[in-house]
Amino acid sequence: MDIFLQQLANGLTIGSMFALVALGYTMVYGVMKLINFAHGDMVAASAFVGLTIYTQILGQATSLGAVIAIFLLSAIAMACVGILLERLAYRPLRHAPRLSAVVSALGASLVIQNGIMLIWGPQMRIFPELVPQVYWTFGGVVISLIQVLILIISLILMVTLYLFVEKTRMGAAIRASAIDQDAARLMGINVNSVIALIFVIGSSLGAVGGLFIGLYYRGITFNMGWQYGLYAFIAAILGGIGNIPGAMLGGMLLGLFQAFIAGYVSSTWADAFTFILLILILIVRPTGLLGERVAEKV
Amino acid sequence: MKRTIRNIMLALCAVAMLAGLSWADTLKVGVQAPITGSYANEGQGIENGVRLIAAQVNAKGGVLGKQIDVIVCDDQGTAMAAAICAKDLVNKGVKMVIGSYTSTCAEAAQKTYFNAGVLQTSDGTADSLTKHGYWTFLRNSFPNSAEAAFAANYMVKVKNYKRIAVISDFSSYAAGLAEATIAEIKNAGGNVVTYAKIKADSQNFTPVLTNIKSKQPDVIFFAGYYSDGGQLRSQQKALGINADFIGGDANDNPDFSKLAGSSAQGAYIINVPSPDALPYDIAKTFIADYQKTYGMMPPSIWGLMNIDGMRAIIHAMEQNKSFDTKKAADYLHNMDKPLEGITGPISFAKDGNRKGGAYVVKEIQADSSYKVVFAQ
Repeated sequence: MDIFLQQLANGLTIGSMFALVALGYTMVYGVMKLINFAHGDMVAASAFVGLTIYTQILGQATSLGAVIAIFLLSAIAMACVGILLERLAYRPLRHAPRLSAVVSALGASLVIQNGIMLIWGPQMRIFPELVPQVYWTFGGVVISLIQVLILIISLILMVTLYLFVEKTRMGAAIRASAIDQDAARLMGINVNSVIALIFVIGSSLGAVGGLFIGLYYRGITFNMGWQYGLYAFIAAILGGIGNIPGAMLGGMLLGLFQAFIAGYVSSTWADAFTFILLILILIVRPTGLLGERVAEKV
Repeated sequence: MKRTIRNIMLALCAVAMLAGLSWADTLKVGVQAPITGSYANEGQGIENGVRLIAAQVNAKGGVLGKQIDVIVCDDQGTAMAAAICAKDLVNKGVKMVIGSYTSTCAEAAQKTYFNAGVLQTSDGTADSLTKHGYWTFLRNSFPNSAEAAFAANYMVKVKNYKRIAVISDFSSYAAGLAEATIAEIKNAGGNVVTYAKIKADSQNFTPVLTNIKSKQPDVIFFAGYYSDGGQLRSQQKALGINADFIGGDANDNPDFSKLAGSSAQGAYIINVPSPDALPYDIAKTFIADYQKTYGMMPPSIWGLMNIDGMRAIIHAMEQNKSFDTKKAADYLHNMDKPLEGITGPISFAKDGNRKGGAYVVKEIQADSSYKVVFAQ
C-alpha cells in the first residue's frame, strides 16, 4: 500500500507539471485550431532563462523573495517570447491553409531549440537548489517540500485560470473566439487581443512549468523541450483538446499513468504504453475525456 | 548572363572540390565524441585534449614531418549519429580516430573503421568492444570485467552488504557492467535483491526507485552515466531510501555532484584515480598546460585516457617510421615496454585491451571533492 501511495504522490507531481504545459497547448488550439509545437521548447527555454536570471541578475541569491522574482521575471520574459512567436510565426499565416501553420510551428520549435543551444551551450546545465530539502514521512511514504509546492501552486494557477475563463468578461471573449472567430469579431471582440492574451497566459503557465522542471530535476538540456511538449500534447488530447479542465485532468492522469506503468510494469514500457493510450483514446473517444461532441456547422 | 553565372558557379565548385582533395601533406586525426547532448561535458573535454596534444606535437615539428590536422565529428552520444560520423571521418581520409566516449557509439562505428583500416582508440569499457577481433580497435581504458570483479569484491567481501540493488540503463556499457558485476557478486556469495533498468535522460526515476525501496536494499550500485547518476542519487534521498550509493566509473564527472546537490555527499564512485590524483610528472605537466589553454581542469580521467591512446598511436607511427596503420597496430599489440602515459604506463594486449588497471573507491565530500576510501 505504501508503494502505491508513494507512486501516487510522485505521479501527481509529474502530472501537475504536465498539466501546466498542456494548458498552453489547449488554450492555443481552442481559439486558433493550431497545435503550437513550439510550446514544449518555450518551456525548456524558461528553465534556462530562469537559470540566467538567478546567476546574472540576482547574483545567486536564494531567499524566498529571490525565488518569487525568478518566477515572475521568467513568466514575463516567456510571455514576451510568446507574443513574438505569434506575431512572427502564426499571424502572417492566419488565412493560409492549416498545413502551413503546422509547418511554421515545427520550424519555430527548431529555431527556439537551437537558439537555446547557441545561447546557453549544448551541455547539460545544473539548476540551483532553491527549495530547501525538507521531507515529511507518513508511514512508508516520503513527500518532499518541493512536491507539495508544485502541487499547490499548480492547483492554484489552474483554478485561477478556470475562474478567469468562466467568470470574467475577458474569459467570455476567449470562449467566444474559441467557438467562432468571425462571429466574435462581429460582436465587437478584438480577436487579435484575445489571441495575444492566450499566448501570454499559455507561455506564462508554461514558464512556471519549466521552472518547476528545473527545480525538481535540476539537470536541463537544450533538447528537453521536445519530450515534455510531446507528453503535454498527449495529455491535452487525453483530456479533450480545447478544453481547459480537460488539460488539467489529462495532465494529472498521464502523470499517474506513467508513474504506475514505470513502477509496476517496467520503465521501458512507460513510453510505449503512453502512446498506446493515446491511440486508444483517439479510437474510442477522440474528443477526449471531457471534450464535448460539437456538431460541425455546415 | 545566365550562361556566365552558371560557368562561374561551376568554376567555384571545381575549386572547392580541389581544395578538399588536399594531397595528404598532413596527418588527419579524427575525433568522434558527444560534443552536444547529455555527455557534452566529456565530449568537449576529449576534443580539447586532442587539440592540445596536436598543437604541442605540431609545435615540435609534427609527426614524421607532417602536421596533425584535427577533424571533429559530433556523435551526440547516439549510435545513429556515431555510424554517420564514422563514414564521414573515413571519407575525409583520417588515419586514426579518437572516440567515442560511450561504448555504444564506439561499437556503432567500429566496423566502419575496421573496414577502412583506420585505427580507433576509445575509453569505452564494454567487454564486447574487444570481442569482435578488430585489429584497428585499441581500448585505452580498462574493461568492465576488471571493474566488475573489483566492485563485487568491495561490496561483498569488504563492506559486507547483505541486500544489493543494481540499476543500469540500456546502453551496452551500463548493461554490460551491471551484468558482469551481478555475476561476480553471485560468485562471491552476495545477495542481489533486484536488477532494475532506467531509460537514460528520462529524468523521472521515482517510480523505479520506489519499487527498489520496497526491496529494502542496503546499497544501490548504479552502472550507468553521471547525467542520470546524479539525479538518481538526489531522488533516492528525496524518497528516503537509506542505502549507500555506489556509482560505476561513468559517474566520475563533476556534473554528478552538481546534479545531486546536497545529496552528493557520502556517495561512492568506483574508478581509476582522478586527474588531480595522478602521480606522474607527465600528467602534472599536461594538466597544467590544459588549465592554461582552456582555463579549467580536464573534466575527468576519460579524456586523458583517450589522449594516451592518441599518444600511443603516434608513438607507434614514429617508431615504425611509417603512417601505415596495420604496422602501427602490430607494434602496439606487441609492445614489450609500455609507453609512459598521462594515466600511467600504457601498453596493449593482443585483443586490443589495455594492460593493467588499478581501481579505487572514492567518497564524495561536502565540498564535492573526492576522498579515496579503498584502493586495490
